[in-house]
Amino acid sequence: MIETQNVTKAYGEYNALRNLTLTIGKGEFVFLTGASGAGKSTLLKLLLLQERPSEGDVVVGGRNLARLSPGEVQAYRRTVGFVFQDFKLIAAKTVFENVSFALRVLGVPIDQQRRRTYQVLKWVGLQHRLQAFPLELSGGEQQRVAIARALVNDPQIILADEPTGNLDPELSIEIMKLFREINTRGTTVLVATHNPELIRFVNRRSIHLEHGRLDQVGGMP
Amino acid sequence: MLGYAFEEALASLRRGGRAAAMSMGTIAIAFLALGGFLLISANLQRMVQRWMESAEVSVFLRDDISDDARAEVEQRLKGEDAALQVDFLTKDEALERFQADFPELADVTPTLGSNPFPASFEVRLRPGATVADEAAALATRVSELSGVADVQFDRQWLERVLSFIAGVRVAGFALTVVLLLGAAFTVTAVVRLSLHARRDELDIMQLVGAPFGFIRGPFVVEGLLLGGIGALLALLVLGGAYASVRGWLTPALSGLLAGEAASFLSFGDMLLLAGAGLGVGALAGLVASRSAR
Repeated sequence: MIETQNVTKAYGEYNALRNLTLTIGKGEFVFLTGASGAGKSTLLKLLLLQERPSEGDVVVGGRNLARLSPGEVQAYRRTVGFVFQDFKLIAAKTVFENVSFALRVLGVPIDQQRRRTYQVLKWVGLQHRLQAFPLELSGGEQQRVAIARALVNDPQIILADEPTGNLDPELSIEIMKLFREINTRGTTVLVATHNPELIRFVNRRSIHLEHGRLDQVGGMP
Repeated sequence: MLGYAFEEALASLRRGGRAAAMSMGTIAIAFLALGGFLLISANLQRMVQRWMESAEVSVFLRDDISDDARAEVEQRLKGEDAALQVDFLTKDEALERFQADFPELADVTPTLGSNPFPASFEVRLRPGATVADEAAALATRVSELSGVADVQFDRQWLERVLSFIAGVRVAGFALTVVLLLGAAFTVTAVVRLSLHARRDELDIMQLVGAPFGFIRGPFVVEGLLLGGIGALLALLVLGGAYASVRGWLTPALSGLLAGEAASFLSFGDMLLLAGAGLGVGALAGLVASRSAR
């Protein structure tokens, strides 16, 4: 599903990723681990096409991302759900609007927008906070809204960058349970984290990066 | 998608407040200048057109012209295609007309001893675009006839007035283009401001894979609305100004316009102005939205 071949990403003299080659299969749940600055976020940015590699190829679902036109980039992103540490919710929109927004910009008919948004918010347990604004929610609730938005258009891949970085341990476990459940539906999940507790809890493969290089590809911890 | 673009653009204009109003004002000033030039030049042109249609060629005769030569001149004039009507004005009639037209100078004429005004033929010309050239040729031919002292063709100076009006119009358009460029830059700046205000939202739209039309649409519509409302404001101000001066302008101009009233911009001109406002605004919005990628 996801392949990187000899990928290097340089920012001036600094190489955030160095000659990275890895493969993640369809339907896998994989942790991306490593210290701050190891290159976890950079790899996720390459997969979301927020950045382009300096060298090498990133291939997702058989498509070489470097060869996508701007329009194809947007079409590709519709197949990928993202979750960030800082939630990236729109403060001026309600919970319902934040989630349905991902469908609205795709031109989904309004009745389908409503139905699917409600379903996914119910699934993350926020059906009672539909009209609340993000700043009225706890950190865990905000992250659940972000997860709902990532899931609402039924993506093939979920990319999460330190999704529990701002949450306490209990909430972090709750969020991981959601990711595990998403994965059981067949969605490929890639979670960047440096929290060993979570890796142990989910008990899936982890890819460890160090200074932009592949340090080890672990099996179950 | 269009509904979303309008909804977001209107919300952005509400948020923009003073900056949006300033942008509309700049557009309005530019279009006020353009509309004003169109209005004034169209009426001036119509006025001169009327004068041209009633223009005459005056053929002044020498005092010692024989009856035969005069009859010859008259016959030649009546045979011309450009001539609609040929009237003979005797020396005495010319003097009487002068005294009637300039009563304050009526006392002067008896002191001259003899009547200085020549007899003349006044040739009313057939209206039409090509008659000016034909009449100019007529004037040249007639001036060579014996007994003809001078030929005056007042259309020549009218044509100079017309070319002056065309010049004024070109200058007006040039000024308008400069003003419109200024207005377009203002719209671009205002749209960029709203783009920065919605930076986070745009980032999220890009990440969820929103089509570029969806991302840029609201900014193009915002520019479109700024331009359109600005042009509409200009038309309203111009219409109001015209309505307030029409009362005293029409009697003043009725003589010059051969009894016709001064007229406001045609429907086509108004559509052109509104369309130009929408176009300039949308283009400026599109330019600004190109940074939303």
